[in-house]
Amino acid sequence: MSFEYSVTYYAENNYENPVENAYWQFLIVPENNDTQELISVEIKNSLEAKSGFSQNGFGFQTIRINTSERFQKINFSATFKLKKISFNPFGQIPIFDIPSNYELVKSLNFKVDHEPYLRETKYTALPAGSENLFVFDTSISIFDNLQKLNKWVYLFIHFNTGVTHVNTLLEEIINNPEGVCQDFTHLFCALSKKNNIPTRYVSGYLHQGNGYFGDSQMHAWAEAYIPQVGWIGFDPTNNLLVNDNHIKVAHGKDYNDCSPLKGVVYSQGANKTSHFVEVQAEQ
Amino acid sequence: MNPEVKKPIFSSYINNPALFDEVFNTDGSAKNVYQTLLDLYGNHSIQDYVQLNNKAKSSFFNQGITFQVYDNKETQEKIFPFDLFPRIIDEDEWEIIERGAIQRSRALNLFLWDIYHDKKIIKDGIVPLDLISSSANYLHQMIGVDPPGGIYNHISGTDIIKHSDGNYYVLEDNIRCPSGVSYVICNRTALKRALFGVFNHYKTHSVTNYAENLLDILESVKPKGVDVPNCVVITPGMYNSAFYEHSYLAKAMGVELVEGRDLFVENDFVYMKTIRGPIKVDVIYRRVDDQYLDPLEFRADSSLGVPGLFAAYIKGNVCLANAPGTGVADDKAIYTYMPEIIKYYLDETPILNNVHTYHCSRPNELKYVLEHIHELVVKPVDEAGGYGISIGNRLSKAEIKVVQEEIKQNPRKYIAQPIMSLSVHPTYIDDSESFEQRHVDLRTFTLLGNNKEFVLKGGLSRVALKKGNLIVNSSQGGGSKDTWVLKK
Repeated sequence: MSFEYSVTYYAENNYENPVENAYWQFLIVPENNDTQELISVEIKNSLEAKSGFSQNGFGFQTIRINTSERFQKINFSATFKLKKISFNPFGQIPIFDIPSNYELVKSLNFKVDHEPYLRETKYTALPAGSENLFVFDTSISIFDNLQKLNKWVYLFIHFNTGVTHVNTLLEEIINNPEGVCQDFTHLFCALSKKNNIPTRYVSGYLHQGNGYFGDSQMHAWAEAYIPQVGWIGFDPTNNLLVNDNHIKVAHGKDYNDCSPLKGVVYSQGANKTSHFVEVQAEQ
Repeated sequence: MNPEVKKPIFSSYINNPALFDEVFNTDGSAKNVYQTLLDLYGNHSIQDYVQLNNKAKSSFFNQGITFQVYDNKETQEKIFPFDLFPRIIDEDEWEIIERGAIQRSRALNLFLWDIYHDKKIIKDGIVPLDLISSSANYLHQMIGVDPPGGIYNHISGTDIIKHSDGNYYVLEDNIRCPSGVSYVICNRTALKRALFGVFNHYKTHSVTNYAENLLDILESVKPKGVDVPNCVVITPGMYNSAFYEHSYLAKAMGVELVEGRDLFVENDFVYMKTIRGPIKVDVIYRRVDDQYLDPLEFRADSSLGVPGLFAAYIKGNVCLANAPGTGVADDKAIYTYMPEIIKYYLDETPILNNVHTYHCSRPNELKYVLEHIHELVVKPVDEAGGYGISIGNRLSKAEIKVVQEEIKQNPRKYIAQPIMSLSVHPTYIDDSESFEQRHVDLRTFTLLGNNKEFVLKGGLSRVALKKGNLIVNSSQGGGSKDTWVLKK
């Protein structure tokens, strides 16, 4: 069974002083994978500046915009239509050979192959003393541990917008456990990696129910590599396994690899950026 | 009338028998290759020499061949101190250096290919995983990327010393943006101008063919489908310490010197802005560090790079030399595995020796280092230009304590090596107006292209001008000498 979604991403940038020249890179296009298929993309901007597709360093599609006329304000929107294939996240879970799975994740070859997603990064570094916040119980499967971790992070952090920002590190979250999806995901990644499980940060969109309308942001969740299965998505903000309401855009080591908007703007002074997202299920 | 008393050039030279002098034997006689040179210089007095040397120096100033030294307070424009007494390397010794430098460059290139593809050397347990997983210079964006021609380190600068045992040792391999080659060529020009009559008595290899070989190498790694590639040199700009070199190399190769703002990317191709409209760029000799290359991919605050350049690179539409991510192999901790790396990929024994190295990341070696700091050189693994180096026998007890603490804080950051006794070379010292022994090293320049390789027959002999100083980097106030490699 499959159904269609329409996702719209809006961004508005205001600059204190006129901008002569600017480049933006949007990492917001839903990827094509086993569970989703991109049907169409429509891009608009208020300056009618040149836009085109490229890719980031990890191979995910990006939208590039380059302006060459003076401006102080630009509105940008992109609408994606995609088909999502309905799937049962539990459907692919086999009977695990538990001891050999734990042995595998400790082997050199495994660590070498998954090095990028086992490495500690700026956003997934745990402050001293908190390395053992969540230790795996090796009598149960890695998958079961990750589900427990998902719930643990969900209960540990209190969802609250406006407390944290894109540069918040885990030290702050652990001292004051309040934050948004990005913070939930970084903590999940950090603790999962501490238990030798390759884990990556995913950015994307979340469909929050039929007919849902209004102001929303991009979502973040994690994918962990489980022996015998492969990459499985965990959404610690909602204590969910990733399902057909999750529309993936990109993954990376942490937020830094997935930031939806990067810009190089030749101008002085302050600027204000706002963006929001609409996800609708097509009837 | 009393004629002014003229002192012969080496009349007050003191040959310390504890040091390895490259020119004089301990009995005061000259080594073979230097005999002719000394006979010729012997006709002149120290005053004649000073006069000639000053002329040569002013030619450096006039040509604007300067560099900047950074310290805490200010930056200063300086000329690279130079003296007219050359260093001579005979053909047999040179052959070893040349074969050794090529061997290392090839091995490093194969190592880089491996760690960005199958990572066999790590899986086979030769190089520890930690060395790449904790390296800030290991670029994940380069995993699985095939650089044009399969080349990562197109340009390598290998620093070599002659030890008091008479053997050559490699101190480090510089494969990010090694600089100094322009000084090699300028030193030669200045020396030939001042002393052609002396130079002429030796059959010395030319060094001016560097630029044409560099261009050949760059053209050999052109992107697929390009017939005659358009090459450029990208510089961080006129405030960079090596700006003179960037402009020299562009001019000598006959290609454009550009800054980031002179280039733009459209549809993943790179173009140069010109008054006749955009011109596509195919190969970029970049003298801008990885993190500044592309603000959309790396440091967003970089104004030195070109937005979109990295995507153009991984799509194979432009070649960058050296490839992004080569810095991981120029880490001083990787250096210590060079003998193993050469054996692993080439099945050869290293032609040039490595200096024995202790890894502070290994507990028992850390213990040795902490107990023997007074007889070791301690170096941070990821700094270039001689910054952060501690030489144990020059430290007070209190300073040793500080170094010990720093190492304990972050063992992975440090390696230690025995204090090597670099050879010395007679060097003209302004203050004493005479020749004195000074330590020297040699930076060699090796080029690697698609089925092409080249070692510059010559190099930058860097002299530590402070008496007894062992650090010869120009950023630490070193000088240089013209280096003659003799023909067979």
